[in-house]
Amino acid sequence: MSEEKSSVKRRDFVKKTSALLGIAAFSATGAKAFSLTNPGREKKDKRHIGQETKRFVMVMDLRKCVGCQACSAACKNENNVPKEKYRTYVPEYELGVFPDVRKAFLPQLCNHCAEPSCVSVCPTGATFARKDGVVVVDGDICWGCGYCINACPYDKRYFNPQTNVADKCTFCAHRLDAGLLPACVESCVGGARISGDINDSNSEVSKLLKQFPATVLKPESGNQPRVFYIGLNGEIQGLPFSLGLLDDKVKQKDGLTPKEWSSKGV
Amino acid sequence: MEKSRRNFLLGTGVAATSLSLVGYSDTLKHTLTLSDRGVKAKDSIYVNAALPECKVVDGDVSLSKKFTITPSVCNGCTTHCAVRVKIDNESKKVVRIFGNPYSLLSSDPWINYKTPLKESFKLLSAYKESGLEVRSTVCARGNLVHEKLNDPFRVTKPLKRVGKRGENKWQTISIEQLIQEVVNGGDLFGEGNVEGLKAFCDTKTPLDPNNPDYGPLANKLCILGTGDEGRQNFIVHRFSLGFGTANFMGHTATCGLSMRSGEAAYLNDFVKYPHLKPDFEHCEYLLNIATAPAQAGNPFKRQAKLLAHARVEKNLHYTTVTPTLTNSDAFAAQNRSSWVPIKPGGDLALVMGMIRYIIENRRYNEEYLCIPSEDSQNKLNDVSHTNASHLVIQSGEKEGFFLVDEKGEALVIDTSDNTLKPASLVLQGDIYFEGEVSYLGENYSVKSSFNLLKENAFALSLDEYAKESGIAKDTIQELAVEFTSHGRAVATDCHGGTMHTTGFYTTYAIMMLGALVGNLNHKGGMSAGGGKFKNFDGAKYNLLAYKGKNKPQGTRIDRARKPYEKSSEYKRKVESGQNPYPAKDNWYPFTNALQTEVITSSANEYPYKLGALISWNANFIYAQSGSKNLEPLLKDPKKAVPLFVAIDPFINETSKFADYIVPDSVLFETWGVVSPWSGYLTKANHVRFPILESPNAKFANGEPISMDSFIIELGKALGLKSFGENAIASKDGQFYPLHKPEDFYLRAFENIAIDGKEPVSEISDEELQICGLEKYIASLQSICKENWRRVAYVMSRGGRFASKQSAYDGDKMNASYKKAIAIYNEKVGTSKNALTGERYSGTPKYYPSRYCDGTKIKVGKNGYELLAFSYKSNVLSSATAALEKLREIRYTTYIDINPATAKKYGISHGDEVMLSSFEQSIKGIARFKEGTHPLSVGVEHGGGREGEGAVHVKIDGKSFEGKIERKSGVFLNKLGLLDHTKLGIATLSDFAVGSNARQAIPVKIEKI
Repeated sequence: MSEEKSSVKRRDFVKKTSALLGIAAFSATGAKAFSLTNPGREKKDKRHIGQETKRFVMVMDLRKCVGCQACSAACKNENNVPKEKYRTYVPEYELGVFPDVRKAFLPQLCNHCAEPSCVSVCPTGATFARKDGVVVVDGDICWGCGYCINACPYDKRYFNPQTNVADKCTFCAHRLDAGLLPACVESCVGGARISGDINDSNSEVSKLLKQFPATVLKPESGNQPRVFYIGLNGEIQGLPFSLGLLDDKVKQKDGLTPKEWSSKGV
Repeated sequence: MEKSRRNFLLGTGVAATSLSLVGYSDTLKHTLTLSDRGVKAKDSIYVNAALPECKVVDGDVSLSKKFTITPSVCNGCTTHCAVRVKIDNESKKVVRIFGNPYSLLSSDPWINYKTPLKESFKLLSAYKESGLEVRSTVCARGNLVHEKLNDPFRVTKPLKRVGKRGENKWQTISIEQLIQEVVNGGDLFGEGNVEGLKAFCDTKTPLDPNNPDYGPLANKLCILGTGDEGRQNFIVHRFSLGFGTANFMGHTATCGLSMRSGEAAYLNDFVKYPHLKPDFEHCEYLLNIATAPAQAGNPFKRQAKLLAHARVEKNLHYTTVTPTLTNSDAFAAQNRSSWVPIKPGGDLALVMGMIRYIIENRRYNEEYLCIPSEDSQNKLNDVSHTNASHLVIQSGEKEGFFLVDEKGEALVIDTSDNTLKPASLVLQGDIYFEGEVSYLGENYSVKSSFNLLKENAFALSLDEYAKESGIAKDTIQELAVEFTSHGRAVATDCHGGTMHTTGFYTTYAIMMLGALVGNLNHKGGMSAGGGKFKNFDGAKYNLLAYKGKNKPQGTRIDRARKPYEKSSEYKRKVESGQNPYPAKDNWYPFTNALQTEVITSSANEYPYKLGALISWNANFIYAQSGSKNLEPLLKDPKKAVPLFVAIDPFINETSKFADYIVPDSVLFETWGVVSPWSGYLTKANHVRFPILESPNAKFANGEPISMDSFIIELGKALGLKSFGENAIASKDGQFYPLHKPEDFYLRAFENIAIDGKEPVSEISDEELQICGLEKYIASLQSICKENWRRVAYVMSRGGRFASKQSAYDGDKMNASYKKAIAIYNEKVGTSKNALTGERYSGTPKYYPSRYCDGTKIKVGKNGYELLAFSYKSNVLSSATAALEKLREIRYTTYIDINPATAKKYGISHGDEVMLSSFEQSIKGIARFKEGTHPLSVGVEHGGGREGEGAVHVKIDGKSFEGKIERKSGVFLNKLGLLDHTKLGIATLSDFAVGSNARQAIPVKIEKI
């Protein structure tokens, strides 16, 4: 990409960002997420309520991301994510035309949105946002209708072929609730993933968001994502576009049966 | 739309778009059939996540009783990072792998060595967010590498081949039978008599009476290793030298030997082979050539971390010169990072051009280059020095040697009075001197080292360098100006991209840039590493010495470390009045070891034929470019290797040709002592001990079979002095037995614990329990006596580490390299190519890519217009074939091609293509990658496996089908070239040092 275009892009997303930060809607999700009954929540189970005074977010400082996939691997292992399913992943892109080409990485996970569309479509109340903003699925309640999976504008939910219910990133709630960091953050080689409490103005995430322009993926979704990106190129802000998924082609050519490789293989 | 089509998603099928489509049909199917509930998750909210290892509430740490977290060393690549392993106390299975926060390989800043273990968990937690700063990471491989422990293709019992070599049919046998057969030989396979090791366990009888310089019969045994993962000293010093063979070789010849030898030349030490890495943290301008930190390199993870940190929080700007755009770059790093695409093998011309420009425009640090000795360096309070002012004799018997005084000290011209003096007495030597000098009544025609470099640099014009490298003249100039515009806080990094036929001189030239500014030992410049606490040879024991240890004698099978001119063959030819050149094959006087020459040399019986090969986790068939051609030599026991024993936990591309396989341990099941390879400034030692029980069959003494226990028992069966009673001596004259690996390694740990003025602390009972060391107490007390709690302290931290604060003294690195940088390397400059008799250049010089005898490698001939290269993967490595979860992250590898180039050949993204070299063809899927030099095609290394579970194996009549995903991908080394100017079937290599040439292979590409 030419220098000129790049600076235009840059201005663009700085503008979007400031607009977004202007909203400053970092409080917990609105009441509609709590509209249905859920025994765990009613019993004030800590796993359902979360950490009441906090609002967990993540900042992706892309200046430090090296696309190493340590996060993807740590997540798969820590959460026993089923085969060919991913709670987080880092697609790699090349931007521009030879010789003016740049690498770009886009680490993605559930955005733990302030206005999560997955929650509003759930007919059972199985999926909801905890008071600390972590969007979770109660597997005891979920009956696997899949509305939430289709409602997520970020495609960050999947159908768990083992439990037969909807599944997703929990920000490693089991670790957060034990006073630890999410596995992807702990394992981030470049130090690009920063998680923390946005309600604490001294937290690293608060400081970064004050200091640097940041943006979110698909800001037009209206979901108000709570995963923020520093240094995101506007061209990939709308999520991946590719000429085709070569790996799938190779898997078929290699002779793997769809059951062995495809997400359909349940 | 057209524009966004340019934004290729590289690699894998985990794109949100596909998840969307597939996810949708999943749910549709599910909803329509209302299928039953699946297996209930462990937790309704946390699903199937692992239970946390500890809880940190308001700064109070409570550790879970369900797990033990013990330090170890990762073996997922050659960096060998320090890790902590979370093991389930009930199932004894690995639950997770973290970084070890005490080690600089996993954390930076790393925590103080004296930090209590419990406190370390607090520091890693969310408490006060300290975990964000000291986060201790493992890479993608490291996170998943434990899958290998339980792989169904793992070999746990000794195997003997049934049927022919390479058929991959095996029977299990007892380890006792294996040792008996390997030692005594006999008609082992119904193919006739095979000599056992006993037949040449002999350090007295000459191997070849006509060539006494070949050494004793013992040299008929050759042992191949891999990168040192902590046990190499044990096999080299206790077994190879106990046996008496000169033939041990690690994997460097297929890894980065061109880099190592070029840096050894620059640092003037071909014995220790030191090498340099940038001080990333304080560097202002970094030039990466033929390597890409954050994409690859060693230490992979540490470099990535430092690079990311320095480009954001510090002053680092860098340029990466590679044929492919790598993960060194990131759009978000903006102008901190830039990429200069170069055709494979174009680096030498580029750098020689830079050197020419820097010299021509006097942009070098003249005052620094004039420092002629360590004494002068100290007087001037500088950080390093060079031999730029030393004088090289230009004619006569001493041609190519330095002019020295009777004590061997270099003589230089003092700039203050223009007289000839020993270098130690001169503050500034004349680096431009050229002419006649007289010393002790003799006249010499001499030139300064610097002038020799200048002559070579000026041999081509900048336009010519631009043409040869394919890099515009302006770019060469800009790079030279940038490199010389940041004082001494500039650095270069180079590695595997130099593995081509002129890689040695490429590296030497790249390093030379640093000498021109004086960056060695300088903060922000280059470091030879931070060193280590004394380990094998320490205060209490020298574990590498024992009564009856042999010195390597004679000629190595790879003809390394020795000039042809010292051979009987040379002398015979000279005596009979023949031209001694060409020799039958090339010799490599300043190379350490060439794993790549072993099979060929033995098949050629030049210098001699081997009796037996023991390979230990070596896989040269996968690693060596052109190795396909060696397979017939391995398949027939009569050709190169009459007896082949592989020590390996897997049947890989090489060990499948073995006669016997001895199962080695995997990862955390064994002992070891290892320090970072490079890229660090403070002392560091890592220790590994068996934290998991090995599933391998056991010896009668209860010790599971591994490399260590095997060579102890094999050594005893051969009567070697290095094992058994009294094999270990302490420095106070006591003797101890060596029956088990712990007898050796715990003593090395003890040396580490007590090294220096202040030994490490003693461990508390609580900490012994926290990291699961209780089971070692009996061994610790019996072997380490009064020091046992200190040794346990080292084990509890995974090693011993100096503080980050100990890195510098002002602008000088505390761990400094002492010798003079060789602007001219005398050893190189006085060595000759044995095929031609041509004298090698003693300073960097441009050579076009060539075969060993100087014949140019023609690109473009018969349509071979592109140059193929491989690049290291940030996810896959040769050690990861068995990691199926990792294959979910990187399924396969492709043939990367620039879309403009592809168009020329009618190739589309995703087409199946045939790639052919002069020797071989391979198939693969073409992947459009804008960030590929148009004259090249690239392949990520790590795919296309034919071992470790990728192919069919039969053991005891039972079949194991190879797994498709392990086989998937492109394996570029199959295309490797042969060097027909060398003897027999020889793979192409660097003409001076013999490093395997896997880069810049001329190829043609066709759509199938």
